[in-house]
Amino acid sequence: MSTNTSLNSSGSQSVESSSKGNKHWLKHALLLLKHELKRGELTIILLAIVLAVSAVFSLSGFSSHIKRALINESTTFIAADRVLESSRPIAPDILTEAERNAVVHAQQLEMSSIVFAGNNMALADLSAVSAAYPLRGELLVSDSADLADAKPVNAPARGEAWIAVNGLKQLEISVGDEIEVGGSTFKVAGVISQIPNASFSVFTSGPQVFINIDDIAQTELVQPGSRLSYSYLFAGEPSAIESFEDWLKPQVNETQRWIDIESGQSPLAGALNRAQKYLSLASMLGIVLAAVAVAVASRRYSQRHQPSVAIFKAMGASKAYITKLYCLHWSLLSIVSISIGLLVGYGILQVGLSAMAEQVELDENYFAWYPFIVAIITGLICALAFAIEPLKSLVATKPLSILRGYQDENRKAWLNYLPAFVALFTLLFVFSRDLMLSVALLAGGLIVVGILLLFSRVLINAGRRAGSQAGKSWHLAMANLQRRAKENSVQLISFTIAIKLLLLIVVMKNALIDEWQQQLPDNAANRFLVNISGQQIDRVNEFLSDNNIVSSGLYPVVRGRLTAINDERVARRVSKEEDEEADNGRRGVGRELNLTWRASLPTENEVIDGSWWSEQDQKTQVSIEQGVAERLDIGVGDTLTFQLGSEEFSVPVTSVREVNWQALQPNFFMIFSPQVLADFPATYITSLYVEPSKKELLQDFLSQYPTISMIDVDALINQLRSVIDKVSIAVEFILVLVVLAGSLVLVAQVQASMEERERELAILRTLGAKGSLLRNSVLFEFVALGALAGFMASVAMEIAVYVIQSRVFDMTVSLHLPYWLLGIVAGASFVGFIGLLSCWRLLNLSSVTLIRRTM
Amino acid sequence: MSLRELTKSVELDGKSLNILQPISLDVNASETIAIVGASGSGKSTLLSIIAGLDTPSTGEVYLKHQPLHQLNEEQRSAVRAKYVGFIFQQFLLVNSLTALENVMLPAELANIPNAEQKARELLAQVALADRADHYPSQLSGGEQQRVAIARAFISQPDILFADEPTGNLDTRTGLHIAELLFDMNKKFGTTLVLVTHDPKLAARCQRQVVMDSGQLTESSAESYDNQASDLANVAQVS
Repeated sequence: MSTNTSLNSSGSQSVESSSKGNKHWLKHALLLLKHELKRGELTIILLAIVLAVSAVFSLSGFSSHIKRALINESTTFIAADRVLESSRPIAPDILTEAERNAVVHAQQLEMSSIVFAGNNMALADLSAVSAAYPLRGELLVSDSADLADAKPVNAPARGEAWIAVNGLKQLEISVGDEIEVGGSTFKVAGVISQIPNASFSVFTSGPQVFINIDDIAQTELVQPGSRLSYSYLFAGEPSAIESFEDWLKPQVNETQRWIDIESGQSPLAGALNRAQKYLSLASMLGIVLAAVAVAVASRRYSQRHQPSVAIFKAMGASKAYITKLYCLHWSLLSIVSISIGLLVGYGILQVGLSAMAEQVELDENYFAWYPFIVAIITGLICALAFAIEPLKSLVATKPLSILRGYQDENRKAWLNYLPAFVALFTLLFVFSRDLMLSVALLAGGLIVVGILLLFSRVLINAGRRAGSQAGKSWHLAMANLQRRAKENSVQLISFTIAIKLLLLIVVMKNALIDEWQQQLPDNAANRFLVNISGQQIDRVNEFLSDNNIVSSGLYPVVRGRLTAINDERVARRVSKEEDEEADNGRRGVGRELNLTWRASLPTENEVIDGSWWSEQDQKTQVSIEQGVAERLDIGVGDTLTFQLGSEEFSVPVTSVREVNWQALQPNFFMIFSPQVLADFPATYITSLYVEPSKKELLQDFLSQYPTISMIDVDALINQLRSVIDKVSIAVEFILVLVVLAGSLVLVAQVQASMEERERELAILRTLGAKGSLLRNSVLFEFVALGALAGFMASVAMEIAVYVIQSRVFDMTVSLHLPYWLLGIVAGASFVGFIGLLSCWRLLNLSSVTLIRRTM
Repeated sequence: MSLRELTKSVELDGKSLNILQPISLDVNASETIAIVGASGSGKSTLLSIIAGLDTPSTGEVYLKHQPLHQLNEEQRSAVRAKYVGFIFQQFLLVNSLTALENVMLPAELANIPNAEQKARELLAQVALADRADHYPSQLSGGEQQRVAIARAFISQPDILFADEPTGNLDTRTGLHIAELLFDMNKKFGTTLVLVTHDPKLAARCQRQVVMDSGQLTESSAESYDNQASDLANVAQVS
């Protein structure tokens, strides 16, 4: 109060108002921005934000393009964008709603049915499809059995049927002959070569037969109690499909199942899910790197502008004036940088996409707003959240600093950076919609920063001691490191984070691609033989060994029902599960199960509870698959009752298995000890890898045994392999982008320390230090810093990989020691190189110039 | 300008260090006064308090009747904008503004009209009319200080504070700058508070006061000169 009074009383209201109503801040902000941009003083900050925005833009743009391309390709696996499976016809208003959303639809009705041709018959997998089928992918049908001229088609004409090659053989017919399906007769008009949504089940062994859905009524096959599976296929623009999906999904009842390409346990779905997670992980790391770059740059921005602020204030500028001036200055800078970032990002994206064009079929008309929005939001959040603190301390610069020198305000660092961390977390979460991944990244990052702060001091001190006995340049380098311990620990942390994220993305990429390749090795099974009788086993084995064909071994199959759990009848309990269990072509509990017996645990199976029986164990027992065990609440020690034909028997559960359903081999829910089922008549199945040259041989061999069915999964595997190859390429490209982003962070950080170095070099030069001494000391300093950062990054990476592999990707956890070496060596050489390069100009300046520049 | 029992002390390692002992001083309008003293004697601290850049620990300081010791940072800024001009040893020009823009700065901050025209006139007076669009880094030390002088006079301040204005310049340039400073000061009738350790420069002021270990004594330039040479002799002997 008293101050105001005294001001007023001395008649100097004008003093107070002199800086109010002053519009020059606008002019000054623009002027400073214009000159500083022209003089290259804002280059690093500009580059940092440009980098942040362009990296995020290109990463998210690229991954959304790739995602779309992959999904486009993968939708052929379900012949649609989405499928609604149901055990009975669905309400017509669902189709009306689809049409209202501009979503096209098709229908497929599947059942097992006996097909006759003269005296021959076969249990066929009958599909009745509507005219629009398939909506995605191709149904290939040929005029003749050699399949050479197969053409893409939709539904057969009414009165006509298409049949698979094995059907022709079993029925002993050829194209043009007639077959009887239910109560009507069809003319065989073509031979099926490829079905886009062929169910991948080794137990659907019958030949495929396609008819028009309008003919189904005539066949009289649809009766009460018929086992039917209705598939309603939907396709359309993503937005249309999504709004239809939003409307429909809540209405899906327990007899129905909503399927998209990512649901289910198909090998493809697994690969796709992980690829998408990887792409979003990579993009998130891009964001983090970008944020680090902006944080580094804005600190430097603040430091560089302190003298100007002090002069402005000494000249009488008020705090409000400075605040307005610098808020405008920074906002304009951000806007300019974000705009340039978008352009650069767009450029990188186009280059990336055109490089990928040969490998991946990209949708040229696809224009995504998403990357623009994400990139702009990232830029804004980075520019705001990370700049608040430096800007605050900039505005708070004391005018006295012009006489007393500039000090960092003693900040309560952690609390002040809270908005930045919150912003970063929000960004990560909004971007990935994956809480676990976001928490893992951020918490991992925070812990790393904390530990680093401690460690870096200790290590730098230790280095000083080691360095003092190790030659002059080394000594000077270590002395430098220690003297600037605080600045260096900031540098060290950003180096470490950058290197850690890069290592993380390399390790995850290699782990993913390795796992995919393991899943689909070159000799992955490409044929299944089904329905081999007991008498044929020896002949089949003989044939396989004579021709060096690798097989999974023969598995006996007996069909039976689970009727009771611990003497409790399960009919009711399992009926609810029926439709769910119809997934992926595996007949589940409640229907007949495919039961097998085996002495040893099959590959790709792992006992997670109880124990597998030993060879000598004579007790009857069963091992149950984990998923079924969970659904039916069965554990080790429970007793299961099965009915096979007219006989019932009970066995105790002695183990629960985790099964890799993605492996191309026969897999079973229930595996019995050898004694239990031995007396029941069984057929056998096996999976084989048949080289192309031996396909004919196998065909000839099987022609002697018409009852043995062969399932050819070459087409499926080829499709899968091509998708995985494309995903791998995408992943590699993303890696390149992230590495680029990381490198730029390193450059920005090195640049940030240049001014101080300039002053020091001037002093050392003046004192007569030789050029080689200075060069070596700079090199050693950066090499030491880089190696240290590489080492800490490796440790941090290992922890992050552990969390991500085990929690997010469900992968096997492993240690990555070779990457430690990579981290340290790459860190040392890269940081050393960048450091030396950045200082090169300074090192080669004459002493006079250096002194003039800095004094 | 008036100082009453002004002191300044700072906390250093938990101990209180007295930089300024109680100081009282009055300076009349249009008077020129030199504060001389050895490095570390506290003269820059005194200057920063009189100019409102810093605050005293105790005592009173009035500048154009404004009680600076009672004003906060913002209010002191307003006082500086209206009444005060500065010339510093390190010139302290804003690096990313041109010579002309640097000169205009105080005028614009004080909302003085026709800033550009006035700045051009002042630059002409310091013989830098043709360097108006050059940045500080493109100017020599002497030229930068001339820009700073032009800047100091543009808002026609009542009081001008000059902190070692020739300290970073060679003798010849220093003389030239001093000439310019006193000429312009005379022309504008400004009160000049000059901090220097250069007795010759101090001698050009109407009054000299000597700072020694935080204490201020009214003195003639000669006595300081003698004191300085005594100190130099002591240094040589030891």
